Amino acid sequence: MLNADQIRDVINQRAQARTFSDKKVHDVREEMWRLHDKGELVVIPIEKKNRPVEVETLFGWKKRIPTDYLWHHKSCGQCGNIPGYPASLLWFMNQFKTHYLNEPHQTSCTAWNYHGSGTSNPVALAAVAVRNWHRAYETGTFPLIHCGTSYGDYKEMRKLLIENREVREKVRDIMHHMGKELAIPEEIVHYSEWVHVKRNDMAGMVKMKLDGITAAVHEPCHYYKMVPEDAIYEKDTNGGQRPAPPTALIQALGAKVADYSTWYDCCGFGFRHILTEREFSRSFATLRKIKPMVEEAHADVAITTDTGCVTTLDKSQWIGKSHGMDYMLPVLADVQLAALAAGAHPYKIVQIHWHSSPTDSLLEKMGFDVAYYKKDFNSYIEELQRGREPDMLYKPHDEMEKYFAVNKGHVIMDN
Amino acid sequence: MTVLQNLPRRGPKGTEPSMVIGGARPRDEKTEELAAKIFSEFKSDFRYKEYVLGCINCGECTTGCPAARFYNFSPREMLQIAYQDDPLVLLDAMQEKIWACCQCYTCNMRCRFGNDIAGIISVMRELAVRNGLDSAKEVLKPYSRILLAVMTNGTQVSPDMIQPDFFADWGPFAVAKQTDIKTLRKAIPIDVLQVTDSSWEVSMQTSLELFQIYTESGVVDMLKSIDPDLVEMIEDIVDEWKDEFEEMKAKYGVGEA
Repeated sequence: MLNADQIRDVINQRAQARTFSDKKVHDVREEMWRLHDKGELVVIPIEKKNRPVEVETLFGWKKRIPTDYLWHHKSCGQCGNIPGYPASLLWFMNQFKTHYLNEPHQTSCTAWNYHGSGTSNPVALAAVAVRNWHRAYETGTFPLIHCGTSYGDYKEMRKLLIENREVREKVRDIMHHMGKELAIPEEIVHYSEWVHVKRNDMAGMVKMKLDGITAAVHEPCHYYKMVPEDAIYEKDTNGGQRPAPPTALIQALGAKVADYSTWYDCCGFGFRHILTEREFSRSFATLRKIKPMVEEAHADVAITTDTGCVTTLDKSQWIGKSHGMDYMLPVLADVQLAALAAGAHPYKIVQIHWHSSPTDSLLEKMGFDVAYYKKDFNSYIEELQRGREPDMLYKPHDEMEKYFAVNKGHVIMDN
Repeated sequence: MTVLQNLPRRGPKGTEPSMVIGGARPRDEKTEELAAKIFSEFKSDFRYKEYVLGCINCGECTTGCPAARFYNFSPREMLQIAYQDDPLVLLDAMQEKIWACCQCYTCNMRCRFGNDIAGIISVMRELAVRNGLDSAKEVLKPYSRILLAVMTNGTQVSPDMIQPDFFADWGPFAVAKQTDIKTLRKAIPIDVLQVTDSSWEVSMQTSLELFQIYTESGVVDMLKSIDPDLVEMIEDIVDEWKDEFEEMKAKYGVGEA
């Protein structure tokens, strides 16, 4: 049995010695800085105010994770049908007094659509990425990417913009037409990486019972399979053989992580499939993921770190009843589990009522008085219906920002 | 389920179209011309040389492929098709098989050559759309609402999409919330999420900049190949927004830069 150091060496040697082809894995960040120095692009730097924490990736390369002054690059799937996902993240940032911006001046990466339908192209995808990154740049913040697909796509776009002059020039032209620069962040950072480096702070906030909880982890494909060399690996987590997030967090919170045979499989999302061909998605999710998570890992909850995975694993279970597969395994994002562990309101903050698979038994096992919180939330809903202003995690944007991108009181626009 | 009819299925032995033997389907001049055009675009795409590096038919990609478990689909076969020089075989694969792929990138991670198999399938999908193939039109027919959303506000899923008649399989908990979705959205403590027709509220300037990207990068023209009516609708919406944007400039005293 190899130890973690030996495994890393083997992986590194294999990657560097792919004699079948000329393809070598190299660190595009070095060339990115060279292009920055030549004025070809602008690197959005991680500064002291971002309070970065250093981690290691697959080959032991260093990656800096900024923890403050962040620009939330939201996920369309999370905001659309798992709103407790971003709400839990912002709630933690408020607890830690993290500076952040969560704005209407963002589009999605549009890669869900691209991977599902093919109705885009490299220039458009790269330009969409740069337009979003630039908004963080002009507001003095650093982009934190919520979605696994956006994270993977943006790393592909970073590589494309660095290595392909023609695409870079076309994107730069489009940006100039909008009064923007071709800006690329120093690192592409997933929210789960922020959670990962803050895990001990989160563990210090635990109020609920986690020691009786067994979690099965689904590692999102687009976190570690699209650009494998940039995902966080740690020697002490999963033996260094699988990404460290979210396993290290779950263990820090005090829960148990149990293994299952199909951990490497995707969730069955499929991009187009989850929307218009769900026969595939629900069959794959149930048979290849939920079933082994329950029957092999005896999990109380499935934990993952991506939009599509939470959606697919959660929504695909109910129909399984018609085939006698009544698993009903709760499915949460890592940050939702952490927020619950810290005693956040299951409905007002974690918004767990948006999940399709039942969560009452999990909440009770963690020590929540489910009936009390449901009653409290229902009262809140009734008050909202009577016209009460909703509780907010930050001061709402001014009406003007429905139209214009504003920074420190100034409208930022070229046309 | 009707949505499956566009995807490959295993028929009785001997009835499947061959995906690897050129000339297995009827040839006509029009089809050969289209195949030659697509083949030329495919091989000259800058990504081709980066993505297709070689193959020893080891099948590692296919053993990890989720789509291969449920469809007559194999990433190994797709790579072989990409590798060989048969325009008609390529066109044949683009009629159906490319749409089975889940884009999970498991094949890429397992491939010893470092092939980007998921990526080359994306290139094939782009070409199917750009050339207005019937398969693209058919497969993307139920996708119009998503295309409308992604082209106008740049997000793909809105809360009001989860309608009971279309998402019945997600169960009563998923669809019941439609009964008072506005209040439930208001109960999310994030202002930009308190909408029902978009994942979050996207500012008008952002939407207009997005459409500018789509126009200048050729995506709008690309979409016209498969759904010109949808493009016309999107352009009407954007034109209205441009007028409203000018009105808002006057209202808020935002001058010309």
